[in-house]
Amino acid sequence: MNGVVEAAAVSKWYGEVLGLNAFTASFGKGITGLVGPNGAGKSTLFKLLIGQLHSDQGKITLLGEDPWNNVPLKRRLGYCPEQNQLYGWLTGQQFVETLLRLDGMPAASARTEATAALKVVGLSSAAHRPTRGYSRGMRQRAKLAQALAHHPEILILDEPLSGADPAGRVHILRTISDFAKDGGHVLMSTHVLYEIERVTNNIVLIHNGKAIAAGNIHAIRALIDTHPHAVRIETSKPRQLAQALARMEHVVSFEFPVADTLLVRTRKPDAFYKELPQIVSDTKLDVRGLESPDDSLDAVFRYLVG
Amino acid sequence: MDWTGSFRKAWVVTALTLRYLLTTRRAIATVLLALVPLILTLSLAAARVATFDVMLFQQLMIPLFLQVVLIFVTLVNATALIREEIDDNTLPFLLTRPISKPALVAYKYIGYLVAVLVVLIPPIVVAYGVTEAYGGLAFTTDLDVLGGFLATTILGSATYGALFLFISVLVRRPLAVGLLIGFVWESVVDSIPGDVPKVSVIHYLKTILKDVIAIAINPLGQYRTDVSAGVAAGVLVTVSIALVILAAFVFQQMEFRQKAG
Repeated sequence: MNGVVEAAAVSKWYGEVLGLNAFTASFGKGITGLVGPNGAGKSTLFKLLIGQLHSDQGKITLLGEDPWNNVPLKRRLGYCPEQNQLYGWLTGQQFVETLLRLDGMPAASARTEATAALKVVGLSSAAHRPTRGYSRGMRQRAKLAQALAHHPEILILDEPLSGADPAGRVHILRTISDFAKDGGHVLMSTHVLYEIERVTNNIVLIHNGKAIAAGNIHAIRALIDTHPHAVRIETSKPRQLAQALARMEHVVSFEFPVADTLLVRTRKPDAFYKELPQIVSDTKLDVRGLESPDDSLDAVFRYLVG
Repeated sequence: MDWTGSFRKAWVVTALTLRYLLTTRRAIATVLLALVPLILTLSLAAARVATFDVMLFQQLMIPLFLQVVLIFVTLVNATALIREEIDDNTLPFLLTRPISKPALVAYKYIGYLVAVLVVLIPPIVVAYGVTEAYGGLAFTTDLDVLGGFLATTILGSATYGALFLFISVLVRRPLAVGLLIGFVWESVVDSIPGDVPKVSVIHYLKTILKDVIAIAINPLGQYRTDVSAGVAAGVLVTVSIALVILAAFVFQQMEFRQKAG
């Protein structure tokens, strides 16, 4: 076991409900995106990693150590919970500073580090306002600031972009990228796939408590090449275009979801994109637009979880 | 052992707890309730009640302060220490810092103790002072009465707090269980014969008052007890420590599911 996170057949039950189901995965260095819908087991995995839960079966390690009630390990991690509640009566500065002092940091150092961390996440101007007045995006940034202010080795971020405004997202993603560039490890979850794509190609797909795919996004794409790949074509003559495309052996089906639109499913997307221009040219049909839902991670996820 | 670091953490958790208990809306209710003994004595003085003296003060304070105010204030504050952090989802911020769960419980308990004593002690001291002034007596005339009530306030806060803290890590609805124990069990236990009253906090608090206040001005002179004030205080301190340790042990084993993702 050499990964930043190693999980071997980890199961966790909540009474009758299975939170993680023999979850096995190894997360390496850099940024890893944990992708899955709500209830997939992402938060359960994170709570196991930060030692708030312990597994019923299997073994899980973070930075090579068992996280359950492991106090020294907490110096090495920064955690950003999904929930947005903060200590509302504290200002952003006091919030980060207080948590830093729980690391045993002297007051003066905690003040300096808190100020720096709030600056990194773009929250300097609101640092002295009580957090109860913060927007959801500001709370996300305050949570991120407290997670990274003590310079941990790994950041564990549970839905860090949830509810964040566009400016906040930019700050958060930039902060995460910079942290990784400086040698830190990041494990972040989301149920919105395109968010992960912006910072990493390294993802783990989780569904029903199981890791259903892990690795580079391109490797995962290779997994789905056996699945039909959808292409949406905007044309004034969708039925004629469908007739022309029907000669492609790898085309599986046609749909006409709305007027002037043809949805094609193919088993060989590379061949399809190569042959399409020639067919359009030969038939002189009008093709105004082309888009593939499969170009985003969202499609990868949908294929893999059915 | 890094004593400086531990002291720093203890101070931070204690200060955070103090601020939480004394500056949120809960504080308004507990402060108002804690002021009831003072308001009552001021009312008696203002109404020029002829029988208002240190005896009447005690006769009113034992059922009102010891059996209502003290229990309510300790219940509301002690059950909030851990349970409200769990319910508010703020606990992960503390649990992902390098501080052990038992230490967190201990530091929070210290914060609680300081907070409730800040709320409870000034009104009882001022109420005593008003009583003595009304009778034209010096503040130091019946210091045994003041000492008895201060001792029972401190020991009662410590023991009830430890009990309610322990309940709060055991059950999801600690207020309901605490109300049953505080206002039902503690009220009826004195009427049960035999040694059963010894399984209550109020028995030891009344024992202390009986023992430390001069018999001539002691409404609990006939209170049925076979232990001394020293033993009673020892029992309360021991029980408090034991309950905080138990709470810390249960908390150490607790899992925090919050939201299953």
